[in-house]
Amino acid sequence: MIQLEPGEIKKQRKLVIIWSVTFLVVFPVLITLGLLMRLRQGEDIKIGMDTFYALMTMHGLGMAGTLFSIAFAALWYLIATRHANLNLGVGYLVYFLNIIGGGGLFFATLIGRFGAGWYLLYPLPFKGANWPTWTTLITIISLIILGVAWLIGILHLIYRIAKEYGGFTNLLGWQYLGKKEVQKELPPIVLITTISLVPGVIAFLAGAVWMIIYLLKYFEPTLAFDPLLLKNLGFFFGHTLVNITLYCCVGWVYALLPEFTGRKWKTDKVLVYAWNATFFFILFAYFHHLYMDFVQPLPFQYAGQIASYLSAVPSTAITMFGVIVQLYHSKIKWGIIPLTFLIGIAGWAIGGFSAVVDSTIAVNTVLHNTLWVPAHFHTYMLTGVVLFILGFLFYMSHSKEEQERDKTGKLGFWLFVIGAHSFIAMFYMGGLKSIPRRYSDYSGIPISSTHSTGALLAQIAVVFIGLLLIGLTIMYFSILKKLFRRVANATGTVVSA
Amino acid sequence: MDQLITLLVIQTSAAIISFAAGALVVAVVIYLMATSSKEEDKVSVKHKVYKLRGRYFFAIVLCAIILLFITLRLLPYPEFQNKADEVVTVVGMQWAWQMAPGVFNKNISKFSGNNEIDVPVNKNIKFVVTSMDVNHNFAIYNSQGHLITQTQAMPQYHNELQYTFSELGDYHILCLEYCGLAHAFMIGTIHVK
Repeated sequence: MIQLEPGEIKKQRKLVIIWSVTFLVVFPVLITLGLLMRLRQGEDIKIGMDTFYALMTMHGLGMAGTLFSIAFAALWYLIATRHANLNLGVGYLVYFLNIIGGGGLFFATLIGRFGAGWYLLYPLPFKGANWPTWTTLITIISLIILGVAWLIGILHLIYRIAKEYGGFTNLLGWQYLGKKEVQKELPPIVLITTISLVPGVIAFLAGAVWMIIYLLKYFEPTLAFDPLLLKNLGFFFGHTLVNITLYCCVGWVYALLPEFTGRKWKTDKVLVYAWNATFFFILFAYFHHLYMDFVQPLPFQYAGQIASYLSAVPSTAITMFGVIVQLYHSKIKWGIIPLTFLIGIAGWAIGGFSAVVDSTIAVNTVLHNTLWVPAHFHTYMLTGVVLFILGFLFYMSHSKEEQERDKTGKLGFWLFVIGAHSFIAMFYMGGLKSIPRRYSDYSGIPISSTHSTGALLAQIAVVFIGLLLIGLTIMYFSILKKLFRRVANATGTVVSA
Repeated sequence: MDQLITLLVIQTSAAIISFAAGALVVAVVIYLMATSSKEEDKVSVKHKVYKLRGRYFFAIVLCAIILLFITLRLLPYPEFQNKADEVVTVVGMQWAWQMAPGVFNKNISKFSGNNEIDVPVNKNIKFVVTSMDVNHNFAIYNSQGHLITQTQAMPQYHNELQYTFSELGDYHILCLEYCGLAHAFMIGTIHVK
């Protein structure tokens, strides 16, 4: 634990509050894009196909980027105020590059109508496109800016914590595996930050290669590249980004939940083994996105399923049982913060199980690119990651006593949870009914039951999106009301101004 | 077992396992919340939970190994396919399917086919699937709306998919990989006779 001057904490807090407020503005806008898509699929509104796919592209890119960005910002704050000195200038640089990159994506998609989907599957951005070619360039450059921003932020953070904890291998917790006594205790959040962000570096470098190839293709259209290789690069980047967003959030659950249970959560040998194993699963699980590419080398297909299956072992056996140790007979007062963490962990577990099911090649044959896929990732993003983030925002805005008393916040929370799970349930049902994903509408499907079921489920989903938006608005009210009335004390927690 | 029944069994099992896992998680959450008002020493809680965790660890690893052993034998890839009775070449393009009997070895831009094709019932059909432009996904739906099999249609590559239609009738082809503006309207038909 480092000792920072209150002034330094205040400065770091200001950075994370600016970042959080940006998130609070962008997030409902991105939800609205999703709402418009479901309204179109439910045949409640009429929007053009080009608009639909531009919304879809922004919704996907925006959500993945925004959630990672705020997850990283929260980690940054918790590390900077507790475990290592982080350069504030670097933090602001990452934030502003995020704004520029994100702004570029908004411009390319919502103004320029770029609509190649979040994954820009080669060669779609360059072939048969109905959007202006400059939007492709803006998108590529924006993604490069975002990748560079995240690389700078991650490398700085890893460098500083490595310096603080005596070297990189210590960040991986390997000192716990030998017989020597551990000199300096490694907080779980530092271990998890490392395990999450180092694969991120590898993925962002792969993403950089992917985007540089796209730049070459843009400026020299006669060049031809291997679509299977680019598909691998694209999914490795995208899958890893989403995966590590979740793990970043889990990192702060390890750090913050003990503050409410009064039970310390320490690093030990089992935790180190589990998270080091997770490091490899993060890198190899992405292969499950390519099961339907029968020409992908067979060992990669095996690796995809095995890594996806085994990834469930450390996450459930260590983190979820760790949460049980924290909470069981703990006499905890169920304030809004521990609530968001517990229900978020549950969302992660539920989404994780249905993801593991779909990572079975034989199952993927009937579920791949049906609504089952958005079902499982919305489960662990919307009812996992987003709840962790909201928990963090309550942590930044509420004192321990306030979060216990905040009935309005809790009302908003439960409306959000019920709305989100019900909205996602429509995706699961759609998946089981073989409804395709990424369809602007279902009217072209010649099977009447598929068309009508797809539209009906979208109509029902819209109602629940409304409910989750009401819940979110109530929580916003509760967070924003208190966020600006607080300053940091010397330990990084908040006290009344 | 009939391929369609196998797929339906797989789909149903996936739904049941996912629902059961979800229900278990919800039950654990309710239990934790309901019992959290009691107080117990952390050492004693740790002892109890870690004992359970040890059992859970072995159970989940065993389940994973058994499921991997069973499911990794049910793969759709060419290495696991039998000799085909008939071959159909399928080419995806923005935004239509073209199909023709036999293998096509020439330049794909010269391929000419139709968005409908007749295939015989109870024969092992091999679909050699590729694309003329961007990625598509060749997905076959039966008349009840069940997705029965699929593979990607990727430029420069040929994916080989095998399927034996056990029921007569019309099957529809939908595109399951986003391929641009009219992706949702890229339809073909297989007449099983």
